[in-house]
Amino acid sequence: MDTTDLKVFRRHLLMRTGALLFSAAMPRVWAQSAPAGAKRLEQGRLVILLLRGAYDGLSAFVPYSDADYYSSRPNIAIAAPDGSNKTAIKLDNTFALHPALSPLLPLWQQGVLSFVPAAGLPVPNRSHFAAQYEMEIAQGGKSSAASGWLNKVAATGGSSAACAIGVGEANPAILAGDASVRLIPRGQAAEKTGVLANDKTRQALLDLYAGNDKLSEAFRQGAGSRMQSAQELSSEKAASEGRRTMAAQEMVAREPAMRDRKLDRDGTPASAQAQNAQMVAASNGAADPVGLQLDAQHLGTLMRNDKSLRVGFLSAGGWDTHANQGNANGQLANNLGNLGRGIAQLRQDFSEPGDVIVVMSEFGRTAVENGTKGTDHGFGNAMWLLGNRVNGGRWHGQWTGLARGNLNEARDLPAHHDYRGVLAQVLRDTFSLPDSAMASVLPGARWDNRLDGMMRRA
Amino acid sequence: MPRSQMNKPGSSSGPAASGRSYTLAISSFGVLLALVSILSTSSAIAQTETPLASAWRVTSRLGYGPTAATALAAEADPRAWALQQVDAAYAASRQAPVIPQEISRFNQPVNDITRDFRLEREARKSAREQAVAATPLAPGMQPAAALPEGFSREMQQTASAWRVMSCSDPVMENPLLARMTEFWFNHLNVFIGKGTVRPFVGNYTVNAIRANALGKFEDLLLASAHHPAMLFYLDQAQSNVRGINENYARELMELHTLGVDAGYTQNDVRELARVLTGWTVNLPQGEGFRFAERLHDRGNKTLLGRNFSDDGMREGEEAIRMLARQPATAKRIARRLAQTFVSDKPPAALVDHLASTFSNTQGDIRAVMRVLVTSPEFWRTDNTLFKTPLDFACSALTAGGGAKDRRDIQLTLGFLAQAGQPMYGWQTPDGYKTDAATWLAPEALTRRADYAVTLGNRMAEPTYLQPFFTAASRDRIAREAPNLRTGLMLASPDFMRK
Repeated sequence: MDTTDLKVFRRHLLMRTGALLFSAAMPRVWAQSAPAGAKRLEQGRLVILLLRGAYDGLSAFVPYSDADYYSSRPNIAIAAPDGSNKTAIKLDNTFALHPALSPLLPLWQQGVLSFVPAAGLPVPNRSHFAAQYEMEIAQGGKSSAASGWLNKVAATGGSSAACAIGVGEANPAILAGDASVRLIPRGQAAEKTGVLANDKTRQALLDLYAGNDKLSEAFRQGAGSRMQSAQELSSEKAASEGRRTMAAQEMVAREPAMRDRKLDRDGTPASAQAQNAQMVAASNGAADPVGLQLDAQHLGTLMRNDKSLRVGFLSAGGWDTHANQGNANGQLANNLGNLGRGIAQLRQDFSEPGDVIVVMSEFGRTAVENGTKGTDHGFGNAMWLLGNRVNGGRWHGQWTGLARGNLNEARDLPAHHDYRGVLAQVLRDTFSLPDSAMASVLPGARWDNRLDGMMRRA
Repeated sequence: MPRSQMNKPGSSSGPAASGRSYTLAISSFGVLLALVSILSTSSAIAQTETPLASAWRVTSRLGYGPTAATALAAEADPRAWALQQVDAAYAASRQAPVIPQEISRFNQPVNDITRDFRLEREARKSAREQAVAATPLAPGMQPAAALPEGFSREMQQTASAWRVMSCSDPVMENPLLARMTEFWFNHLNVFIGKGTVRPFVGNYTVNAIRANALGKFEDLLLASAHHPAMLFYLDQAQSNVRGINENYARELMELHTLGVDAGYTQNDVRELARVLTGWTVNLPQGEGFRFAERLHDRGNKTLLGRNFSDDGMREGEEAIRMLARQPATAKRIARRLAQTFVSDKPPAALVDHLASTFSNTQGDIRAVMRVLVTSPEFWRTDNTLFKTPLDFACSALTAGGGAKDRRDIQLTLGFLAQAGQPMYGWQTPDGYKTDAATWLAPEALTRRADYAVTLGNRMAEPTYLQPFFTAASRDRIAREAPNLRTGLMLASPDFMRK
């Protein structure tokens, strides 16, 4: 047993005894009371990235030292680390990272990336839609009128200005509720002002929507926030294009050979070397911002410019890999690659001391591969945490491996931790929500002290 | 639309019924439309909806908004018109749809599509292999559009174009049939992002959905179950006795029939998946559906307490019919219909009434729709509905006489994609939501205005709509130049409700 094993063992031992002591001694729902006079929302920022469709956490964080993992998944397992880019990347003696997530390895090494490998709903629910809805309102049952829990977090700010922003979805349940919310579309559409740019048209529209009813108010609010969003995003774009041009010029100055590079008539560099140099300059060291990455960039810009925005929401779909999931390559690998680049992009904008990013999904997938080289709906799954206050470079919570006897209904990873227990740790740390607010945001949830230490103390 | 009255029970919700007095208005046909002078906004007395407001309601809900002609017809006797639409839609569903010749290939027989899809895949494969060795195309040289590699894209684009056209032209397609096609497609959703589904969506829309849209629910469900679009979408085509895939079995119970809270178990999902093993597509031989005996699990299965054993394809058909006939299914369909046609939060009494009609008629959709449009709830002015992006776009096109050309279609498909309701583009099997809580979002409203103004520039002013608007909206719009007036009408709050 090397030191890491020992650490893991000790941690589990501590957690188990801690849990026993705690449950006997603490009648309270929430373990710690919030610091008095805390400034709530002003002190931190939270971004939730919801992976809709149930991503396969066992491919993202690969339990490579567990023989059951390989026997359960003859076609779709990610090979144990051997240092090549076809195999998982070692994190510790238990888990390794999917090679497509390599952009996140530095964050693990810096100690700001962590995960809880087996979290989920308190009771299994294998319906995507019911499970997502439950996770968005943070409670079970059919509370069809319930507000989204992120909306409730935003409401604790007590401000009439929007504290929350969503990118991509028309009106996600997680953000629905009384607190006002900014919602911008996916992709480049978010950078455009449209007909509002014309003064005459804008005025006529505002007059038509001059009433005190909900629809008119929504339109006026939308017109205001859209003008602002588009302005901020397009000026940010112009600025970053400026930076790229400068970077290219600097590169030419540094490498005199570049000055003599021959260009085709359409401006394409003639030599492969020159071509490569141009590509590096054009992307400013990052891959092209497409899809999730562009949305992440938009979220970052808007939250940077508007300090009242403390809560952000993004989502990504395409995770329901029932067939031909692939392994180190394939459809899941491609999706994870986009995700990894998107999260790396987010991290660039969310690296303030109080920033936390949580990545979650409605449930996990079966531990055992199905008959069509894919996975079906399961239960527990890995939740990711990213931020300077996250006690990262290590994972948290209970892990009992993939031996059949330890699985839920002999098929799924169990959910050792209620996802709301994980969120409670984050919310307490990020926004110092008092018990009353916690009980409203996460109704019926309990403090999970087995996760204490997941966040560093501020 | 009655802006100051959104939350006032008893107040009218229809256009032209707001709490303001009307002056006379003249439609483009020179017909005098009678107006109603009404009570002050503070009145809490329930108003009887004017025929004009009722005409807006029926044409917007049982279709995609009024044309000059349907406005007149509906206003003359809204209730009779509504009932007549149900029968007309049923009759139309028994006839082949009108599809312009140049886009009709998407509706060729399913086995032909299966064959062409195979050819496309083979062409792509050999193109990839050649590309390794071949020199690049000369600058400016494009691959010819007619190559088989473009087949799936063509099928998707032409099917999408037809949907836009058929949802915005009451002469081309009965409006209620277009609506019911949308409703059932959404209920039995498939997604073009999955490559194997893509060439089949148009054929699925017309032959599985439209043909059964006012028939018996179990026929509709079976047509969907046999169609390659569904077999591929939910991975049923790959499930077999040696390797079960639960995807279709689960959604068949959770979404298509019983609903998530109906009490079935994970074991029922498993058993239904076993019952359905062997239901597949035979791509190599160009068969859109095939029951492959050797892939079928011949053992005993128990689904919802009923035994199924060694009866081949009939097991699956019986199981699907059994699911279609469950009371939970009746309730689920009834609720979804009431949400689509009456209110986001439909009255329980209406849902029960529709569900019992559904059960008593063995799932006769036409019978259920007749009950729906004659129910008092359908006509209650406080049962308001807000247009989805598709409703909004198709009603705007309708006001301009339908999609005129390729550009109208492109503009519309682009708007829908950006608004979060792309045609054939909902990834998951639950289909799009239809409620205001989803679609009434601040910035999204301003994007409706973009579409309205751009489209408005391309069409004649739909003056016949003026009587439907509040006086305030009409006056404000009248102050603008003609080229902006149409756009403002389509972008107005009056135009957002149905």
